[in-house]
Amino acid sequence: MDEASFGLMMSGLRTTLWLSVTSIVASLILGTFIGVLRVSPVLLLRKIAGYYVEFFRNVPLLTVLFFVFLGLPETGITLSIFNSGLVGLSIYTAAYVAEVVRAGLQSISHGQTEAARSLGLSYAQTLQYILLPQTFRITIPPLGNLLIALVKNTSIASAIVVPEVMYQAQVVEGRTFNSNIFLFAGLLYLVITIPLGLLANVTEQRLRLPERSNA
Amino acid sequence: MHQTVAAPQPMITTRTSQNLVNNLVLVLVLILAIPVLFRIPPDDFQPFLRLTTWRFLGMGVLATVGAALVSILISLPLAVGLGLMRLERSLWLKVPGVVIIEGIRSLPVILLIFYIFLRLELLHLPATPGLAVILALTLYTAAVNAEILRAGILSLEKGQMEAAQALGLSYWQRMWLVILPQAFRRTLPTLIAQFTTLLKDTSLGAIIGFLELQRRGTILFQQDKNVMATLYIVAIIYFILNYVLGRASEWVEAQQSRSPARAVGA
Repeated sequence: MDEASFGLMMSGLRTTLWLSVTSIVASLILGTFIGVLRVSPVLLLRKIAGYYVEFFRNVPLLTVLFFVFLGLPETGITLSIFNSGLVGLSIYTAAYVAEVVRAGLQSISHGQTEAARSLGLSYAQTLQYILLPQTFRITIPPLGNLLIALVKNTSIASAIVVPEVMYQAQVVEGRTFNSNIFLFAGLLYLVITIPLGLLANVTEQRLRLPERSNA
Repeated sequence: MHQTVAAPQPMITTRTSQNLVNNLVLVLVLILAIPVLFRIPPDDFQPFLRLTTWRFLGMGVLATVGAALVSILISLPLAVGLGLMRLERSLWLKVPGVVIIEGIRSLPVILLIFYIFLRLELLHLPATPGLAVILALTLYTAAVNAEILRAGILSLEKGQMEAAQALGLSYWQRMWLVILPQAFRRTLPTLIAQFTTLLKDTSLGAIIGFLELQRRGTILFQQDKNVMATLYIVAIIYFILNYVLGRASEWVEAQQSRSPARAVGA
């Protein structure tokens, strides 16, 4: 591989990493919010959050990205290329995060909420101090898997010309006609996803709650 | 079949159907509200009043569902093979199993599609986008399903294997007659859910020019300049396809938990 190609791939790697980091943060925030709505006491909020999750889990990410990148400008909302990728990935991944958060919240014994409320904590306080910290612990393993899926999904942003690894690999392939560049791109993804998988396993073991006997 | 016929329960049926109607109304309201919310001009939906548009998209739906179906059918035997390899005690089988499964699962699907598409000619195969998509998705789904099946096999009671061994069955008889049918049955809901992912991933074929639903949608909006409206319709079609699959998966799960045959392995 010549120096120019290598430089392109490295700049692609930086973009992939930055896109992964920003969209995991955004989708965690949005996803937690929607997950909380899914167990909220208000029926309409529960329903709307439920439809959000159902919709984005059943529609391809590519369609969502096209919608943000090509569709939104029609309504006067024009985002930069990178931000389109960020927004598309985040609203898509948030649906999966919301499901994980909802399952986590529902797995916590109802007695916890009752105890907190009878101590005089408000609903918001109960969420903030009692439910969400425990949920976070329970949801680490599934969130780790989502994070890995997200890193792999950033590659789809190449379809809306975000200059990440997959896009740069296509550029290099166009320049050199050497399709082995995709093997190198694959290696770059493995370098990110395999350590992430190991990290998720280690965190899972360290954060594991002591055996509980809650009914 | 060992299934017992449940007595009719009219109360529950009415309530569920009432619920269904309520949900359908809310879904319809949302479906109509979104174009208003995003200010999609009604004229943009004009092409969808023509039958030819729907026929054009319909061909895409067939390609999408067809590619997904072919991929899952070819991937299942591969998945069984890979899963059994990984369960072997012999390192000569276990290590390649782990490397193939984890390697493929850790790569983006789009990368597999591109690489296979560019390599087809070297394998003396026709370099068509459809074939590349099917091969890539078959490999990817086989790796994922191998893990699902492996978990299913591990969830079976040890006594199943021991009893089969005590009866003098050979390895393949034990697997084919005793272990795999149960593991398959247990993991069926998860396997159907995986089919949703597969169906969504066929859309990536659009990038290399496979004429499936998303690709045909792109052709339509490039021609009619109605990006939002077309993508909205395409998204709803994907949604309906996957929603039906999701309900099918839930139905299978409910059937299984009702059937007493499940208790045997539990």
